Amino acid sequence: MKRTNMLSIVFRKLRSWGRVMRGNQLMASLFILFVLMLFFTMTSSRFLTWDNMQNVTRSTSSVVIVGSAVTLVMIARGLDLSVGSLLAASGVLAASIASHGTNLWLSYLAAIALGALFGALNGTLVVGFKVTPIIATLGTLNIARGMAYLVTPSAILVGLPSNWSDLGTGSFFQIPYPVIIAVVIALFFGWLLGRTVFGRHVYAIGGNEETARLSGVNIRKVIFLLYLMSGLATGIAAVVLTSRLGSGDPNIGVGFEFQVIVAVILGGTSLAGGEGRIAGTIVGALIVGFLGNGLNLIGVEPFWQYVAQGVALIAAVILDRFTRRERSEASVRREVNSKDNFDKTEDPKSIGNSASHQGEIS
Amino acid sequence: MVASAKLVSSPMQPFLQVVEISKMFPGVQALDAVNVDIFPGEVHCWIGENGAGKSTLVKILAGSMTPSSGQIRISDEIQDISSPHHAQQLGLSFIFQELSVVNGLSVADNILLGNELSRGPLVLPKASFVRAKELLMRIGFGSLDPNRKVGQLSTAEKQAVMVARALNIDAKVIFMDETTSTLDRDEVENLFSVIRTLKSEGRSIVFISHRLNEVEKIADRITIFKDGGIVGTYNSGELSINGMIRKMVGRDIEHTFPTKNRTFGKSVLEVKNISTAKISNVNLAFQSGKITGIAGLVGSGRTELMSALFGLDRLTAGSISMGGELQRFRNCRDAIRAGIGLVPEDRRGQGIIGLRSVEENISITWAIGKPLRSWKRDSVVLAKKFISGLSIKTPSMGKQVGQLSGGNQQKCVVARWLAVAPGILLLDEPTRGIDVGAKAEMYQIIDQLAREGMAVVIVSSDLPELLGLADEIAVMREGLFMGMLGGDSSEEEVMSLAMGEVK
Repeated sequence: MKRTNMLSIVFRKLRSWGRVMRGNQLMASLFILFVLMLFFTMTSSRFLTWDNMQNVTRSTSSVVIVGSAVTLVMIARGLDLSVGSLLAASGVLAASIASHGTNLWLSYLAAIALGALFGALNGTLVVGFKVTPIIATLGTLNIARGMAYLVTPSAILVGLPSNWSDLGTGSFFQIPYPVIIAVVIALFFGWLLGRTVFGRHVYAIGGNEETARLSGVNIRKVIFLLYLMSGLATGIAAVVLTSRLGSGDPNIGVGFEFQVIVAVILGGTSLAGGEGRIAGTIVGALIVGFLGNGLNLIGVEPFWQYVAQGVALIAAVILDRFTRRERSEASVRREVNSKDNFDKTEDPKSIGNSASHQGEIS
Repeated sequence: MVASAKLVSSPMQPFLQVVEISKMFPGVQALDAVNVDIFPGEVHCWIGENGAGKSTLVKILAGSMTPSSGQIRISDEIQDISSPHHAQQLGLSFIFQELSVVNGLSVADNILLGNELSRGPLVLPKASFVRAKELLMRIGFGSLDPNRKVGQLSTAEKQAVMVARALNIDAKVIFMDETTSTLDRDEVENLFSVIRTLKSEGRSIVFISHRLNEVEKIADRITIFKDGGIVGTYNSGELSINGMIRKMVGRDIEHTFPTKNRTFGKSVLEVKNISTAKISNVNLAFQSGKITGIAGLVGSGRTELMSALFGLDRLTAGSISMGGELQRFRNCRDAIRAGIGLVPEDRRGQGIIGLRSVEENISITWAIGKPLRSWKRDSVVLAKKFISGLSIKTPSMGKQVGQLSGGNQQKCVVARWLAVAPGILLLDEPTRGIDVGAKAEMYQIIDQLAREGMAVVIVSSDLPELLGLADEIAVMREGLFMGMLGGDSSEEEVMSLAMGEVK
């Protein structure tokens, strides 16, 4: 008896947090980010330095680039697990082309094209063959990883041209190029989502696919394009990342899809689809980035970072559940109340009491 | 077990008593203090129009809904049926139109599902086989092999499996909700002999059907539901089929409908001999300015006709033409481009995007293919126009549609189509689940649209509504077009045609 009481108190607490989070998930994730940074600033003197900030944002940029595209995919109730392996495949492809002395830009283009190809493959599987997104992209995850190893059978590709790393390590007025690229791409997806008819269709499909279809939205085209863009963004991220690392490494990007999904969900994109913002994903990516970096700086073993990220994901999902439950209850209550008057509040209990109410309502 | 002892000792004691059960949904009184008694060994038929409350009561007894007030007594003990499992334990068994069988399992496994014969964790296949065979024999299905996969069986055989399952748990009352609607004549006869067997064992059957000739044949007593209440319970033979229909529909017209002095224009859409998987050989023409009603029972092919017109179902035969031009709709986008709009049946599931704003819900179809620069500003103007034009009550156009009342949600769906000015608007149950005031407003809107020259097609289970609005009424039954009646026909005429009764 006591145990259920405790549990119900915990649930009620969680739900009241949910109520605070509702409507401003962005504020909630910003708050988490702030607390996190405050904590690491206090525990490590090396945390809040210009160098470290540059470092973290530079390494977070690929999560932001891919996360922006995946945000759209997840708003439309899809999922893309292939991004991590694709990052490796595209990166290795670019590096191997560049190592043969080809024009650098051509190798970048090849990486992006491979990304687009995989995106199109994912899109075709999901839209054309109606494979569940999680399975389709799990399949292409393995295919892409295999291809990465096939391109460079002998582990890491080095001996790249001297200007290879310019893009990944250079900066413009102290702002790293990767950060600039990430910002541009995030702005693009933010614009696409918030200002275009396409963006509305993404929300509509996530909110209610059947309604979207019956309203004349070409849902197959929209979903295909989303996976295509996710692949494209991954190609771009691969270029940025391999350029930064200075080598073509088929082992990169293991667990990258996980970081992306954590970032998107921490950023307030609903697992049930229909809701989410790019700004949230950026904050989510920064949380993931600063968490790893900070734990590193205070000397926590790297393996614990996996644990921390896992906990972060599960916590984000549980919060998502509670905000959602809160909302559906609220909207039902609202609907009952708004029958005649929006602001009239009514004791929900009295609705069940039909005998006394019957005259009023029917 | 105490229950069955009591049952034998006093046979006139009702086994199941429904006492003053009410069920409220937000804005709807689905059941209003109904009383029904089920005696042991009787076949008790429940009839009534769609939405009269039969299914709600069944769901309450099955433990999948809780009543708002009232009591359920079983063998004179008050029971609070908390779950489907609990209902089963109390001796109530349910066979629905959508049969809850597991297609991948064998007949025997399905019959014993949840009550498996086992020793420890191991199922006893041989004993199960024997038990299943014995149960099937009792209901005259001894030829059905208990090892067959249920997925391979016909509907009638699946129903037999369900009946055998009910026997296995020694059910005292077996509810059959529209189970005959998917059976042919011989199978129905077969089912009836099963029912007689069950009856002779002292079990009661609650038989729910729209087919009144079946009711007349099998019933011991008949209870008639209407608008969430009960008209009365009658002994079989007390009522003729026409008498049943009169009692089912007899009510006062409660809404005021617009006058029908509309002028009709040219034909907008014509269908010739169209068939899909669900309907066959339908011929209809829809004129601008005319409101055409489509009547029929649930499952008669009304919604499927709409789907065919809207390009959702593939035509297997026949043609659709608009303004003399032959149309081939590959999907609903083609239909929309040709000037057809559909307000779908399931508002929450198909009509609105609850999480998104009023403005987005109104302009979603309109915005397709609009230029990048100006669409957003225009969309706001558009939404404003319809919010005031249809008097959609919302605090702002940014409000989530899911938070509006049902009537206002439905107005948003209608506005979505008005924004693209279709030549013909299909409305499937446009007033379902919205309150009386909003209904009257919806009638005015529909009338206005017709007067402005739109061809309007309405499917509704609410007959008075259909008769009040429509200029003519097409009646569907079992996927077939049964005939066209004038808008001044009586409810009885429509019902007899929809139920296939010859007057």
